Amino acid sequence: MSKLPKELVDLLKDRESVKVLATLNQDGSPHTVIKGSLTTLDGEAIALSEGLDTYQSNKNLVRSIWFDKSVSINITKGPVSYQIKGKPYKCLITGEIFKQFLLKAREKKGPDADIAAVWIITPEEVRNESPAIRRKEEEEKRPYFNRHLDRESLINRELSSAR
Amino acid sequence: MSKLSKEVVDLIKDCASIKIVTTTDENGNPHAAFKGCLTVLEDGNLAFAETLEGSQNNINLVRSLWFDKNVQLTVRGKDGKTFQIKGKPYKYSYTGPLYKKFYLAARKKRGQDSEISGVWVIVPEEVRDETYEARKKIEDELHPFFRHFDRESVLVK
Amino acid sequence: MNCTRSLGILTGRVFWLNKIMKGENRMGKNNGKLGVEELVSKYPDISRFIILKLDVQKRGIELTENAQEAVQDSKYRFRPRSAAYSGDDGSKKANPGPLLLRDGTTVLSGAGLKYEDPYRVHHVDGKFFLFDKGKKIEEVDFTPRPDYYGKKTSRGVPMESIASARPQRLDISPYRYCHFWDTGDQCKYCAFFTDMEEQRQLADKNFPKVIDPEDIYETVREALKEPGRISQINLTAGADYSGDPPFENEVNRYIKVLQAIGRNFKSRRFPSQLIAPAYTKRQIKRIYDETGLSSYCPDIEVWDEKLFKWICPGKEKWLGRDHWIKSALDAVEIFGKGNVYTNFVAGAETAKPYGFKTIDEALKSNFEACEFFSKHGVVFLSLVWRPWKSSKFAGQKQPPLEYYVRLVKGLHEIRKAHGLTSDNDDYKHCGNHGDSDLERID
Repeated sequence: MSKLPKELVDLLKDRESVKVLATLNQDGSPHTVIKGSLTTLDGEAIALSEGLDTYQSNKNLVRSIWFDKSVSINITKGPVSYQIKGKPYKCLITGEIFKQFLLKAREKKGPDADIAAVWIITPEEVRNESPAIRRKEEEEKRPYFNRHLDRESLINRELSSAR
Repeated sequence: MSKLSKEVVDLIKDCASIKIVTTTDENGNPHAAFKGCLTVLEDGNLAFAETLEGSQNNINLVRSLWFDKNVQLTVRGKDGKTFQIKGKPYKYSYTGPLYKKFYLAARKKRGQDSEISGVWVIVPEEVRDETYEARKKIEDELHPFFRHFDRESVLVK
Repeated sequence: MNCTRSLGILTGRVFWLNKIMKGENRMGKNNGKLGVEELVSKYPDISRFIILKLDVQKRGIELTENAQEAVQDSKYRFRPRSAAYSGDDGSKKANPGPLLLRDGTTVLSGAGLKYEDPYRVHHVDGKFFLFDKGKKIEEVDFTPRPDYYGKKTSRGVPMESIASARPQRLDISPYRYCHFWDTGDQCKYCAFFTDMEEQRQLADKNFPKVIDPEDIYETVREALKEPGRISQINLTAGADYSGDPPFENEVNRYIKVLQAIGRNFKSRRFPSQLIAPAYTKRQIKRIYDETGLSSYCPDIEVWDEKLFKWICPGKEKWLGRDHWIKSALDAVEIFGKGNVYTNFVAGAETAKPYGFKTIDEALKSNFEACEFFSKHGVVFLSLVWRPWKSSKFAGQKQPPLEYYVRLVKGLHEIRKAHGLTSDNDDYKHCGNHGDSDLERID
């Protein structure tokens, strides 16, 4: 497992980032939840808590670890966005990390808050999905693909006479 | 088609809401993308623009339409109210009035050199309230013993 | 480069060809007679939309009366009926532009022409639907009329007679005549430029063979005022072999036109394609150096050597098949890998009496061609042959739909294996190629 880029680690630890976990339902259709708890513990693995065992996302994570399915994580703040494809590696239902997440949940939602599990996800592919970066990549790779000719960088709005 | 309630429509139309589109790639892996431009059309269908023709999200949406796969839209308001909408891509427009509307909106927001590749129309099939409090209430009723003993509602201090 | 020798080397490159031929050699008793739904089941990895498109391209469409009325709306109204291909009912009603399927697939369906067994388009509750033998098949739409239609250049020429619009492309024919027809050497499937009534009407009887580059400049300029409408400019025309070396006058004409169009852009190059005869390397280099053209497409039309000579006598007479191939390969050195294209008229190679007798033979030949061109960085694309009434092949039978499904699948797989994409000929720009449509989910 390799270190995550620093920009991504900072985003993961930033409480203002929007963090999304996408998993697969039994029928193969996707399921998405916003996961405020999602973070990295060591700059390598991803960790997140599930509030209830019976949550669809928790069931899907169990199915993923049992049947070797991938999950997808998206972290965005302003113009910066990362996509992580990974696999659930471990489900914690007790221990120090579990306690940390439970206490954080109670700090945020009150003393009656609860969590069912903490999931450790191993990232397998990290991709910078920031729109400006993706667009630059695509335009460099395919310069004549999908570019409207009325765009400011292309069109000459000045009247031009025959040379 | 599942009719969206006023509450869901209002949440989608609220600029402050977080909106996410989730698709699956050719191996069945999920892929999530934020879609600030997600909106509800007059006919009750959902629509959003794709910026890049070659984005994973766009490729997955084409595959979903070609091979009849579901996609999921998630919308969460600033108060935490969350809905999940399961739907199917119905149409992809890259010319005509709907496309032009999104194209001009993108230009207004991001400048004269901005681009969109097309507009997806999604037919909602199922809507589910995924707000934490609502889900927790249901789960607590269904599974009253799935709880830690040190929770405020259980422990006698 | 000696292309004949290169072809000999092809015998060693059979991996993809074998895979495709072997993998799909499983036609049942109904060989060649399967319809869209059966083929969707038989080829589950090919989109239903693409199979439907191929069938619509093959069979054409006919608008019902209410659909015909609906397309007279200013939103859809494209052009008067043309008799160019197969004759019409003589009415002056407008036709719609290219058909659009729900997934955005473009179909150049040729509304307003006569077909033997067309799909029918009905207009129901404000929407268009495709019907086949009374059964509702799909919701469809037509390409919206662009804003520049109805306007005139400063010389008074109607702009829609200068450039026609596809969903995101402008099509311009700077020279509206093909000299292969002068000597009866036109390609045998061809019906282009046999009737210029449509343009004559639009140009108010002042119909010039050559379009003034300034009219083209002004038309492009006006077309680009519509936001988000145009993302490519395509040039093609009839062949003019005059000059020394042959086609020199045509090359000079294209350079002038491309320079005029280029004044509309800030950038050196702009997304564009020139579908033209096979020029010499020096001519291609001049076009590249003196204009902003981004892709070049000398169409091979038919791959098999003997059939090429029979079906394309003008092309064989003027420079010949080997030169046609060499030109495409030379152009890759100038325009770069993936920016040179060559199209073929899929199915014409089965025309009687000299064409391939089986579709397996026809497919084998086409996959060989695709493998050869792909290896050299040229994008080899198919388009569906229709035996137009004004062509020498009028009345011939097209291959079955399954031939086209196997063809687009095989061509796509071969090009993909060589890392080629069809950015200048994709579903948004051209709409003629089911095989490039399949790249959308790569």
